[in-house]
Amino acid sequence: MKYNIAGIIVDMNIRFPRLTMQSADYKCSDDDAANVKIRLTPEFYEQKLIENPHLDYEMIEYIWMGAEFYNALVHFDGMLLHSSCVVYNNEAYLFSAPCGTGKSTHTQLWLKRFEGAYILNDDKPAIRITENGVYAYGTPFSGKTNLNVNKGVPIKGICVLERDTYNHIEPIDPDEALFSILNQTVRPVNEEDMDKMLSTLDKVLRSVPVYRLYCNMELDAPETAYNGMNKSTDSK
Amino acid sequence: MKTKKGFMLRSVANRHVVVAVGQASVDFNGLITLNDTGAFIWKKLSEGCTYDELLADMLKEYEVDEATAREGIDAFLEKARGAELIED
Repeated sequence: MKYNIAGIIVDMNIRFPRLTMQSADYKCSDDDAANVKIRLTPEFYEQKLIENPHLDYEMIEYIWMGAEFYNALVHFDGMLLHSSCVVYNNEAYLFSAPCGTGKSTHTQLWLKRFEGAYILNDDKPAIRITENGVYAYGTPFSGKTNLNVNKGVPIKGICVLERDTYNHIEPIDPDEALFSILNQTVRPVNEEDMDKMLSTLDKVLRSVPVYRLYCNMELDAPETAYNGMNKSTDSK
Repeated sequence: MKTKKGFMLRSVANRHVVVAVGQASVDFNGLITLNDTGAFIWKKLSEGCTYDELLADMLKEYEVDEATAREGIDAFLEKARGAELIED
């Protein structure tokens, strides 16, 4: 079966319900030529089950199909950013942080605060450099919540999210942006792929502003984030 | 002297960064940022060189006296050795 994910035609042999359901919106014609072919063999599932007895077949498929997809993404001017991505007025805002910081909690507040806002991908949006700029894409791999939309949207800004008692936002130092983003992506193990990923990251950081958002869980938080990320582009 | 296998220097968003790939990435999952001089020294070391060759190259590249150049190289080597990034 073939799927169009982030504009890449991916041929995957999906067997189990979870990923079958999460990838349904991404199905494309079998006549399309595949850019990437991912095959997980029965032996692979058995091996992973031995290594990770707490997982089941369904989770193994979800995790390693996703891993293979994001590994392939670097060959298409793309990279993964572990983040929750919300879209408002056809612009994508990515909130990145280690697990448990409250990325999804924050983007859920956007849905309450801004009418028409939606989640593009709640956990692992794909980022790609396109002719029209830097885009974020929904993918079937969106974490626990299955919140994703099969769309590509231009990125307005990236926030590294931190909890605080009151809401404030500031542009991040480029060194810190590098550290934060490299800690929230998958790093390719081989040199050629690492080269490609760093070149993509270079382009992302040259055109997308990165901020640090300190926020609580009140409805003020999305407002602070939105205003902070729109102010600086107006004055450019 | 030579930088350890698996560490690569690249330029990202006008910053010099060193990351690990292959076997080296198992032990090192961090990121090193270097200034221009640091990147210059790293490049020489990645090709492999002696202390004296490095010193000569530094004096050729930068308008500094020998004592200052030595100080810069020594400080770099001390840090890089401490982080086990250099093989002798």
